[in-house]
Formats: sequence, structure tokens, C-alpha cells
Amino acid sequence: MTDATTHAVELVRPDGGTETIRVAEGETIVDAAERVDVGLPYGCLYGACGTCAAELLDGEVRHGRSPRALKPSALDAGYVLPCVAAPESDCRLRVGHEIQAEVVGTPWK
Amino acid sequence: MSTDEPSHDAEQHGHEHHEVEGPGYPTPAAMRTESGREKTAYVMAPRVGMENEGPDMIGVVDLDPASDTYSELIDAVEMPNKGDELHHFGWNACSSSCHAEGLSRQYLVVPGQRSSRIHVIDAEDPRNPEMVRVIEPEEVFEHDLSAPHTVHCVPGGKVVISMLGDANGELPGGFLQLDQEDFSIDGRWEADLGEMEMNYDYWYQPRHDVMISSEWAAPNTYYPGFDLEDVEAGDYGDSIHIWSWEDREHVQTLEFGEQGRIPLEVRMSHNPEETQGYVGAALSSNIIRFYETTDGTWDWDVVIDEEPREHEDWDMPVPPLITDILLSLDDQYLFFSNWLHGDVRMYDVSDAGNPRLVDRVWAGGLFGDRQTVQAEEIRGAPQMLQLSRDGERLYWTTSLFSSWDNQFFPDIAEEGSLMLKADVYPDEGRLELDEEFLVDFGDAPGGPARAHEIRWPGGDCTSDVWQ
Repeated sequence: MTDATTHAVELVRPDGGTETIRVAEGETIVDAAERVDVGLPYGCLYGACGTCAAELLDGEVRHGRSPRALKPSALDAGYVLPCVAAPESDCRLRVGHEIQAEVVGTPWK
Repeated sequence: MSTDEPSHDAEQHGHEHHEVEGPGYPTPAAMRTESGREKTAYVMAPRVGMENEGPDMIGVVDLDPASDTYSELIDAVEMPNKGDELHHFGWNACSSSCHAEGLSRQYLVVPGQRSSRIHVIDAEDPRNPEMVRVIEPEEVFEHDLSAPHTVHCVPGGKVVISMLGDANGELPGGFLQLDQEDFSIDGRWEADLGEMEMNYDYWYQPRHDVMISSEWAAPNTYYPGFDLEDVEAGDYGDSIHIWSWEDREHVQTLEFGEQGRIPLEVRMSHNPEETQGYVGAALSSNIIRFYETTDGTWDWDVVIDEEPREHEDWDMPVPPLITDILLSLDDQYLFFSNWLHGDVRMYDVSDAGNPRLVDRVWAGGLFGDRQTVQAEEIRGAPQMLQLSRDGERLYWTTSLFSSWDNQFFPDIAEEGSLMLKADVYPDEGRLELDEEFLVDFGDAPGGPARAHEIRWPGGDCTSDVWQ
């Protein structure tokens, strides 16, 4: 697919494995993954919960709704919320269930 | 008879003084003594934030010691979507509807904490529950509410659910009311929120025209995980709210401050004459007793005060984190879990303002001297509790909330959590882990799952209210 209205999003798994999905302009990364049965963690689907938190390694995404689950420092560090994020270019994204806890850290530890 | 039967009538429960028959029991003692042993448990089993994600499920656990499949997960109702985070749930009817003719305790109302989707399960056949209705998140957001939590049926043919956020996952929350028969959304329960912004659990005593609600935080604060910065910013709760049950209005705030950070589960006495109860302040790790005073206002005291503890692998002293509390049906014993430390405690509260520690069981957590059951590692620590109606068996699960699990006990995300049991000897004030009992949600059909709130057919210590 080389359609100009879609972008290639490469998902990098914790074990280093990768898979690439095509995401249409304006489509969220989670919706695109669900459409082709590629598993991604998610919860609320409106940017409030952070279950889907991922690290943007390359490229650009735009959050269609406020990524409320991410503090400014997390956004600055390159974390994004694929449930409300649509790619604006081809992207590489580190994904996995443990990224949510990595973003927040562990109190007292 | 087994209370696995969904409906009860007057004859079976000495209820002849009432003109009509309904679900439940006329008094807490009737429920405690006449209901029979629990044979089945329903357990919320989310898969949100697991390594192998999949839809959440309701686990059905066999609790009948005479059965070949005792202490096993025997069935599961899988949710139609992923990402719900099943958490707390409740019945369409309980002892509060004791006078409601034709009504039976048959339907479980099962919200998704993260998705705001609400499921209705028909449990007429206790061993074969079936999904009969799904209220989609959009229908809930229309009322500018999200994050459904505590479900109670209430007199007057309604079900009321505490809601922690608005449609964007911000404050304030509120209360959503459903119709008890067709489970359509009526709208908001409350007439006036008053000072209430944060919400969590609630309990009510209709005889005294009171409802008490507690506080967690805004969904967009607690959903992503626990961050001490948010506590410092004042984004976590430290108060409970007193409501007029009849007028549906907020009437008083009890602000605990540092002594009551993150007040979660609210348990009032089962005795409908009583005007007191307890709330567990998770972060402060205090049990606070609240009570009505002679002038009709409410007051509070810290009655149990736990201390943080140093751990060699942690930079700062770790609080016990009281995440669930419950009262036995005879209001004699209070149980609570210290989810970070790893113990479940039993207090004699026969002198309500002066609880007395009588026993405890350590199992998992940061300090438990026991870290395995049947050679299985205890992932997590005592968390959601449920007590048998007769007060002789205490069951618990080990997962708190997906994002918080992943911070504190990340193994749960890979291998699932556990359901454990202790035998309780109320006459001796004693509690003992039952090493024969273990339900490993790591072996759940469809992959490992977390395990959260527990209920059984026929009602329990944390579902039933008496008028």
C-alpha cells in the first residue's frame, strides 16, 4: 500500500519483534490495529486511562482528543496514547503493556 | 436449601410478617443463619494491561466442597469488548427490596471501570450466567458521567451506580440511576451534588435517611497509575460525604486531611438501627469510624492507625495500603487487607469505637513470610475480601487495579492473580489460611487474568442493605 492517505506504523514489541500496520489519515492507531487483529493494550479509548501508552520512536502523531492520562513531562519524553493518536507520517512506536507503569514509575521505590 | 437459588420467598425465611414476598432476608441475622453455605462465587477477572491482552471475564468458581471441581474456575462469561476493566459489581435486587413482590436477585450489573460500559448478566441458573444486555459507553457519557464503580439496588425499583468522573474522565463524578426491570438509564440519581467532586464507594441506611460516599480521584488521575505528585497536588481524595437519601442531596463533608488520604470502601453496620460505619483510608492506612451525633450531624474518629514500614528494596517506608474492608453480618468483626504489606487482619468491633486486633494472616505482598500456596507464588497480596454469610470463611483475591498492579506487582500482568481463602473461627477470634484452597487465574481459559471483586448467589456482607 502506498496510498498517500495512509501511514505505515511499525510497532516494536518488548522482545524486539516488529509488525507494521497501515493507518488511515485521521484513524487512531488502536482502531487500525483492531481492524487487522493486531493486539495492542487499551482501556478507556478516549485518552483518559493510559493503558495504551506507547513511546514514539520516529515520526509524528496527532492526538485527536486530549491525552489526559499523560502529564506534560511524559509527553515531552515522547510518550503517546495510540487510542486517541493518529499518525501524521510513517511512525515507529514502542508498544507493550508495561509501558503504562514505566511512564508513572513506582512510588516509594 | 442452598442460597444458590436466585429467589427466596416468605416461607423459606420466616418472612410471614410481610404482606408481599421479595428477594433477600428480613434481617441480617436471618441471612447469616438461614442462607446456607455459599456454593458458587462470581469473580471479576479483568485482562486489561495484561501481557496477553484479551477481553475481561466473569469467572465462576466452584465453592462446594462436595464437588469434584471444588476450588476450580468452572465457567467464564467473556465480555464482548476488550479494555473494560471489570472491577466492582452488584445485584438488581437485595434485602433492601425485601418487600418488592415478584422481584428476585437474578441479574448482576457489571460495569467496566475504564470503558464505562455496563453489562447485565442473568444469573438465574447460578452455574450458567448469561449476558443479556450491554449499555454502551456513549449512553453513559450522555449523562456527563464515566467510570462506574459501586452498584447497589435501592428501594423503589432502581439501581444506583457511583460514577467517578464526567464524560471526559475529569471531576466531578456523580451517580447514575438505572431502572431495576429493564436496565434502561433513568439519568442521574442525585438532585444536588453540593461540595462533592470526587466519588468512589457508597453505602446507605434508608431507615436513617443517610447515604455515605467516599473519594478516590478523577479517573484521569487514578487510571494511569499511582503518582505521589498527584497526592501532593491534592488530586486524591481525603473526605467522605453525607447525603440525605430521601432528598438525594449532599448535606455534609467530613474532611480527614492527612489522617484519611484516599478513603475507599465504606461499610456501615448491617443492623439497620445503627448509624455508624467504617471507611478504610488506603494511603493513610487508617480505619476511620464515622457516626451520627446527637444533633443529627456526623463526626469521625481514627480507630485503627497503621504505620509505614521500611523495606530493604524500597527507598522510602511503604504504607500498608488498606484497599478493602468488610464487616461480618453480625457486625462483630471487621476484616481488612493491607495490599502492599501483604496481610489480612481481623478485628473485634463489638465495642465499635475501640477495635481490637484478634488475628491476621500473611500471604504475599512485600512483607508476607508466606509467599506461596501449594507451591504457587502468591502474585500480589490480600485485596478484595468476601466473607461467607455465616462468617466462617473469608475469601480474597490479589489484584487491585490493572495500572496499579503493573506498578507494584508486575508479575500479575504476566501470570494472573489468585483467589485464596482463610477459615474463620468467630467464637475463638481466629483466622487461618486454608492451604487446600487455591484458584489460580493464571490458568484461566483464554489466558491469565486478574481477579478482583467476589460475590455469590444469594447475597453477601458487602451487597445487602436492610430498610
